[in-house]
Amino acid sequence: MQLENDQKSIKQTQMIIKVATYWHFLLSFSGIFLLFIILYEHGFGKIPVWLSYIAAILLGLLSIGSFYSGIQLIKNRRQGRTASLVVNYLGLIISILFLFQNLGVFLGVDALANTFGSSIGWLSGVLIGYLVYTAGDRFHYRIHIEEMFHKIGKYIALIFFAIFLIKAGLIPALIFLAKQMIIPTNFVIVFISILFGLAIWAMWREATALYLNRTNAQTEALEGYLFLSPNLIGFLIFFAFPLVFSFYISLTDWDAFGNSNFIGLTNYFKLFQLNLKQLANSSQDFFNVMDGSIFSELLRFNMFGKSYVLGAADARFWIALRNTIVFGIVTVPLSAIPALFLANILNSKIPGMKIFRAIYFLPSIAAVVGISLIWQWLYNATVGYINYFITIGLDFINNIFSTGYPQAQIRWLSDSRTALLAIIIVSAWQTMGFNTVLFLAGLQNVPKELYEAATVDGAGRWAKFWKITLPLLAPTTFFVITTTTIQAFQVFEQVFIMTNPPGSPGTSTLTIVLYLYQNGFQRFQQGYAAAIAWVLFIVIFSVTLLQFRSQRKTGAYDV
Amino acid sequence: MSRKMFLVLSVIIVFAMVMSACAPVVVETAAPVETAAPTEAPATMEPEPMDVTLRWRTRPDNQAEIDVYSSVSADLDAAMDGVTLVYEPGGSETSSYQDVLKTEIGAGTAPDVFWIPGTDVADFATRGLILDMKSMADATDGFSAGDFYPGPMYHLTFNPETNMTGEALWGLPRDVSTFALYLNLDLIAEAGADDPRELAKEGKWTWEAFLDVAKKVQALGSDVYGYGANAWWGPYGVWINSAGGNFYNADRTACGLDTPEAIAGLTFERQLYVEDKVAVPYGEDSEPPFMAGKVAMFQNGRWATPGVRANANFNWDVVELPTGASGQGNWLFWGAYVVNAKTEHPEEAWKLVQMLTTAETQGKIAALGANIPSRMSQEAFDAFLTFTPPANNQAFLNGIADANKPTAEGPLWAGSWPNYDSIMGPMVSKVLNGELTIEDYQKTICVEANKAFEQ
Repeated sequence: MQLENDQKSIKQTQMIIKVATYWHFLLSFSGIFLLFIILYEHGFGKIPVWLSYIAAILLGLLSIGSFYSGIQLIKNRRQGRTASLVVNYLGLIISILFLFQNLGVFLGVDALANTFGSSIGWLSGVLIGYLVYTAGDRFHYRIHIEEMFHKIGKYIALIFFAIFLIKAGLIPALIFLAKQMIIPTNFVIVFISILFGLAIWAMWREATALYLNRTNAQTEALEGYLFLSPNLIGFLIFFAFPLVFSFYISLTDWDAFGNSNFIGLTNYFKLFQLNLKQLANSSQDFFNVMDGSIFSELLRFNMFGKSYVLGAADARFWIALRNTIVFGIVTVPLSAIPALFLANILNSKIPGMKIFRAIYFLPSIAAVVGISLIWQWLYNATVGYINYFITIGLDFINNIFSTGYPQAQIRWLSDSRTALLAIIIVSAWQTMGFNTVLFLAGLQNVPKELYEAATVDGAGRWAKFWKITLPLLAPTTFFVITTTTIQAFQVFEQVFIMTNPPGSPGTSTLTIVLYLYQNGFQRFQQGYAAAIAWVLFIVIFSVTLLQFRSQRKTGAYDV
Repeated sequence: MSRKMFLVLSVIIVFAMVMSACAPVVVETAAPVETAAPTEAPATMEPEPMDVTLRWRTRPDNQAEIDVYSSVSADLDAAMDGVTLVYEPGGSETSSYQDVLKTEIGAGTAPDVFWIPGTDVADFATRGLILDMKSMADATDGFSAGDFYPGPMYHLTFNPETNMTGEALWGLPRDVSTFALYLNLDLIAEAGADDPRELAKEGKWTWEAFLDVAKKVQALGSDVYGYGANAWWGPYGVWINSAGGNFYNADRTACGLDTPEAIAGLTFERQLYVEDKVAVPYGEDSEPPFMAGKVAMFQNGRWATPGVRANANFNWDVVELPTGASGQGNWLFWGAYVVNAKTEHPEEAWKLVQMLTTAETQGKIAALGANIPSRMSQEAFDAFLTFTPPANNQAFLNGIADANKPTAEGPLWAGSWPNYDSIMGPMVSKVLNGELTIEDYQKTICVEANKAFEQ
């Protein structure tokens, strides 16, 4: 009898594997068919070009993976099961995402806060049910009373939860869903999703696994990747894909609205197109030596007694790059060095120090927009508080020393000599608090014994700082400098809000990210903006790499 | 609670969330303030057999405008059979109206009808983002493009394929606006200067008279200014226009910033900032010092009126711009309601655009004081003039009167306006900050700015 059952089970498993094999070949050929439609027939003329490329790549991978699964399953190999599970799992996820997109779920998510907010009160009934349920535990010595409480608690919770769902709009949603299911596209997607689900079940079941000689290592790997998959898929969709996609975009003249042509490296050539010419004299007109319809004057300089002019096809890009580098070079020390000293002060054990720590940290967690608006007011040359206090100070000095300093009318944000500095001050001020907290954490890891030994050796405060604190803070200092540099090279919000128009006066505060934004969102040049983004990425990557290398050379912190 | 029950409940919650997200969005529309249907009905269209939902959006400047637009939406909703209107105020403290709109257009989720500034019309039209409503307009009884200011309609009916105006219809103007000088009458009186309103009445409100008032006020102290304006193309454009210049050549296909007239306008403005120093430094926000009572003449549009009414603690009024060699040189600012090219209900959207621009609707908006009606209708003007202070509302209407030859804010059909602006703005800024001489500016500006026409 047992043998008969086993044979029946084996036959059933063989049949399931056979069906799964057919399914994979069908999937593979369907994928290839769709791929041909996309590549040659433009069957999905309505979808953007980039999306059709992605669909083609996915279909290609699906077909290959599916074909491989089919072949391996014919040979009853365990690799076939693994490949089948991966293909079907990804197929299921993609089908569900497709279905959600078709149903408008991603857009409807915005409405969730309102929907649930209006009915959230009913969830208190679930809490009451839970309390009643747990109250029953007090009567564990009288089981029938305990069970009664448990039952009542469950029903209360269920009833209120049902009310909550109904109030949240579940019924109209179900009706809407039912109506949507009549639409053939949705129906087909649901059907395909079910097929993928069944295929997963067929391969996942124990009998199939045993028949295909699964090993513990295979099971562990599959389960491991299954748990990893939400994060892995999220990473691929929201990070890896945009990264690759933005590089593709940088090779096109895409305007964000579907108008796109592949133009190769043209965007990059335009960014780096420079022209150096010798001038007859230092004041010679730029347009006499270079074609003004292509180049703009970027720089004039003298070398070995001769004058030169450097022209650029996109001078604003180079100006933005220069401003960004200057911003980074000044901001990083300005936000790291004071933070180090502040951290040393805040590391002392005097009453109320925690309040000071919180105060210094506040700017880092405050909204950049709000902070920038406040600083814009403070910087106002005519009615701003900064000039007002400087004037009061000068008046005081004038009264005491009978000097004649005039009223302070520093044009912080409207003078090209001070505007970038003004932005740097705000940015350094805002970053300093966070850096202080990092240094503070680093300081608390420095062993106290070292200070005690130094004291015994007669070292003063300064010597202790230079010989103990600073070297032992090297890992923190490295982290602070690296993150602050990356942040500084991406400066945008402060410039965008504080200068009007953004990047002014002239181009003195134009930064790379601002320029990228202007190209992408104001001039409809997403391709060009993507190329700028990649250049910025390379700059940041190079600077960070240099920092890592120099840090390794010091040997203070082996990373 | 058992593990199984917990699991089941979790699944139900997730399922319910997804289901609720599936449900059609329920939008709460504000209750109508007045339920009466518009008295001036738009041109009639065939009634629609199916109930359709139209989303529309405009950029309000404050909560009062949001309330009025919501009320307008509710009224129009009641008046449009078979159409449900959903009004979406655009923009927020942290996101620009245009950026959000462009992103939504890219994603295919933009509203059916939306407002865009006049300078954006060419970009939107040539990229196929907005609908050409000419055929629908031609088939609509009672519709006439001539009811609106001709300046905006020139661009709104421009066909980029034929380079002819009157051969398309990209939208209808929501409202118009123009510059005036907001006056601090106390400061002017304290300086002993002539009242600009009186000078304007006598026809003596010229550049010279303006400079005289500015200088007298500035003499009151080093932190007091005769004139103030913000740093964008509008304010410096009026000086160029007023001198007889223009941003472009006659057919708007090349730069016109280096003509002697344009240079004369900029030279006068530079004098205000660099030589005479009677103006709030270029690039500084002039509104705070004006509100603080330190600026005598603040150049701004009608949109600044609610703010001045709310915050000015001195006697104030407005006066039209002083006249140069070619008159006031004022701008006729405008923005238009346009229809999303991807709308599923173009006819209903066209009907909505018409209803949003009736004299009655415009009158309601104009009664808030921030906008001037775009329809040349006495009813709409009357609604606008009733909004006081300022007592001299007529100054705004004078600014856009045909006699004063205002220049309509316009898109660049032959080039890229954002690029043009991003070249012109920084160079003008350098001139007005004294970092670039007028001669160097004249030599380079059009070579650089013409690059915007090559794109």
